[in-house]
Amino acid sequence: MLSALILIPLVAALVLILWPGKLEAQTAKLVSGLSLALTLVLVALLATRFDLATPGFQFEELLPWVEPLGLSYRLGLDGLSLPLLVVNSLLSLVAIYISAPTLHRTRLYYVLLLVINSAVAGAFLAANLLLFFIFYELELIPLYLLIAIWGGSRRGYAATKFLIYTALSGVLILGAFLGLVWLSGNTSFDYDSGLAAALPLAQQSTLLVALLVGFGIKVPLFPFHTWLPDAHVEASTPVSVLLAGVLLKLGTYGVVRFGLGLLPDAWMALAPWMATWAVISVLYGSLAAIAQTDMKKMVAYSSIGHMGYVLLAAAASTPVSIVATVFQMISHGLISALLFLLVGVVYKTTGTRDLTVLRGLLNPERGLPFVGSMMILGVMASAGIPGMVGFISEFLVFRGSFLIFPVQTLLCMVGSGLTAVYFLLLVNRAFFGRLAIAPPTAAPQLDIELPSVTWRDRAPALGLAVLIIAFGLQPNWLARWSEHTTLALHQPYQGFVQARTRFVPTALPAVADTRLVSPSLALPTPVFPVAAPSAEISLP
Amino acid sequence: MTKTLPLAKSNPHPLEPFIQKLLGAEALLPDSETNVLEVVGILKSYGVVLDAYSKNLIYIADHQFLVLFPFFKYFNGRVTLPQLLRHWWHDRINFEYAEYCMKTMLWHGGGKMDEYLDSDDFLRHCQAAVAAKIKTNLPIRVLDSLFPDFLPEQVRQLAYYSALGQFWRVMSDLFIDLSDAYDGVRVQTIPEVVAFIKAGLVAAAANPIAYAVEIDGTSYELLPKSAGLTFLMDVAVPYVEAVFFRGTPFLGTVSYNAQANQISVDQGRFDYGALYADPLPVGGAGIPPTLLMQDMRHYLPDYLTAFYQSSGRGLDDVRVKICQSFQKSMFCVTSASLQGLLPHPADTQDPRERATNHAFLAGWMDRLATSRLDVVQL
Repeated sequence: MLSALILIPLVAALVLILWPGKLEAQTAKLVSGLSLALTLVLVALLATRFDLATPGFQFEELLPWVEPLGLSYRLGLDGLSLPLLVVNSLLSLVAIYISAPTLHRTRLYYVLLLVINSAVAGAFLAANLLLFFIFYELELIPLYLLIAIWGGSRRGYAATKFLIYTALSGVLILGAFLGLVWLSGNTSFDYDSGLAAALPLAQQSTLLVALLVGFGIKVPLFPFHTWLPDAHVEASTPVSVLLAGVLLKLGTYGVVRFGLGLLPDAWMALAPWMATWAVISVLYGSLAAIAQTDMKKMVAYSSIGHMGYVLLAAAASTPVSIVATVFQMISHGLISALLFLLVGVVYKTTGTRDLTVLRGLLNPERGLPFVGSMMILGVMASAGIPGMVGFISEFLVFRGSFLIFPVQTLLCMVGSGLTAVYFLLLVNRAFFGRLAIAPPTAAPQLDIELPSVTWRDRAPALGLAVLIIAFGLQPNWLARWSEHTTLALHQPYQGFVQARTRFVPTALPAVADTRLVSPSLALPTPVFPVAAPSAEISLP
Repeated sequence: MTKTLPLAKSNPHPLEPFIQKLLGAEALLPDSETNVLEVVGILKSYGVVLDAYSKNLIYIADHQFLVLFPFFKYFNGRVTLPQLLRHWWHDRINFEYAEYCMKTMLWHGGGKMDEYLDSDDFLRHCQAAVAAKIKTNLPIRVLDSLFPDFLPEQVRQLAYYSALGQFWRVMSDLFIDLSDAYDGVRVQTIPEVVAFIKAGLVAAAANPIAYAVEIDGTSYELLPKSAGLTFLMDVAVPYVEAVFFRGTPFLGTVSYNAQANQISVDQGRFDYGALYADPLPVGGAGIPPTLLMQDMRHYLPDYLTAFYQSSGRGLDDVRVKICQSFQKSMFCVTSASLQGLLPHPADTQDPRERATNHAFLAGWMDRLATSRLDVVQL
């Protein structure tokens, strides 16, 4: 069944390739959309059968492949990958839906989108390190082509830069995986085998640094981020949605799955450095976003900041913070997809993303009032306003990380405040004031004839907004899928967390208090076995 | 024979072509089929709305006299549950716009009516009416004792309610008649539209403006006929001055910062009236014309709806389009008003009278330099 999630888009891509005669854009969109809708239904079916109490892989599929090399076709689904799979299917469907009705090289465009979906699904499902790497690399070329062929005026530069960076990322990840297997004396690249590896700290640290840099490029984290703003600016809106919503998550997923999951000793040793790195990324991303005048670049830099939260939460490795990593990934996926979607609509309608030119778009008659409203909702969610998923994820990150890294957490909270600043700049400049897309030096009484945004364009934004609010009001709908898996990931770090806990509240939240689940949806067993205050927890 | 240098030609006015147009019985708006369609169509719906505004203003002036909390002032004395529900559901005429215009006139003042309202004669009439009204109302008597200027100011405002109501009564009928003339193919060009409006204004020019209120069966004159207030000079001209030229700054998505000198401290240099307004903010909260456009959209003639449907965002941005058409129509009304107010006949051959006419129009053109006159030429 898991293989179907990988195969269905590939089969659809094959259908498009073999389609006789000229392939109409509508037909290609329909075939692609139906196949992705099918994968979404399939993921939903898997979710209904998913055992919440099982922390490890479920629905496993194992086929021997190149056994002498330790490569097997092993797939598995756990609480870490399930929400990301849903986001992958959902945002791929959105990307297909919002693709321009007329495109040159239609067939290739949709085939590439389908291959990306398949590769990302494979990466999230892979329970073998080499298999993950294959899927990880598989999505690079389609994405490169999508930017290089359907991108903006500097698409060649942006696509090449993306390819060089991410290829380097792949080399580092492959090197780390090979090193992990060679040094541990294993013959298999299976995830569980790697987990059992007990390497000296120096070796683990070397491998972890390679993994962190490798995945850090993909996330991206400062200073490996420079490919991202260029890629976003040059990419078309559907590709930006996929890139921000899904593809960046491969980086954070890799950090959590392989760094946190496989190299515990090195992780504990390097955690303070990672938290500091997260702070730098968060603050740099936020400050860089403030300096932007291109809406898309601003949202792109905001991604760098928000992905830093995932690293901070992962570094803290408390039960709450590990749940927060999943939450932040999903939250950022939904919010950034919404923001890029809206930026795309603004660009399509006005022909510019320049914040020095745009203003008054909230005008109820001639402007883009729906887009403006959704943009305000999106930026509020991104800035962590309560009632939306962004608040829950940031709250969990800060709540889970503060006990371990109080200074770094407080600095990251400053980044959260800066998010409000740059998004306020965006909304204030583009959406308030007198409507005009011409510079102030142009005709003083320019009547703007902006085409109206149809409900067809509004629908995906509305869908994403509903999810952002729904998960914000009822976070358990999301958290319950990941709790046991993240708890298992936390197990090796219990001692680390206890040892590094700086501030212990007079009454450390009992297990039940730290749970996200509402009473009505509470799981039968405790989820976060955070140790109650004891003599073992040293006060500073 | 002594050669002399030719006399230097005096610099022509930047808007000289428009002065010549007005002197030639033309309009400030170019003559075209679509402009006629827009102007007549919008004035038809404006006429319908003005009819309701007029009736309500006069009702308030006559029947809500010194009612300090007039909760049901928009109901014209007929308060029923279905009407209340419609009101709360906002499926109604927005009388607030009529009050906005009234308050703009009151604020800017001007003309003989404004002078009369500050006169001792008015105060005497006013005090008689006030005394009769508050005779049995102790709270208001206390209020009047504490703040003796408050109630007379309320009565001045009620006088403006009445005067504007009477003005719009005439204009409503005039615009409906214009629409009938257009439907009957008797008016087909913009100059004919201007001539029709001018004829209507001139015909009503000498109509007396009077206001009396009945209290306990006794009629109290507040604007007596003896004050000699007339339709054109004492209400129409101040109305055009206040609403077309001055107005008030918007309080919505386009706001002005008085502290930053974005509003002139010289009230005479106010340029926020209908002729200067940017139609694009229409639809936003606090933008005065929004309510008027909202009302007019219910009464658009079919041909105008079809015209709007065929351009831009169709009916999605109909209020902006109504506002643009309305602005065109207001330039026509302004043309008619200016031609009606010319000191001498437009076709006079006397050079001194022609110069006086020219100077009169040049003064108005100075004020229109920053208006949307150039935009409506497109």
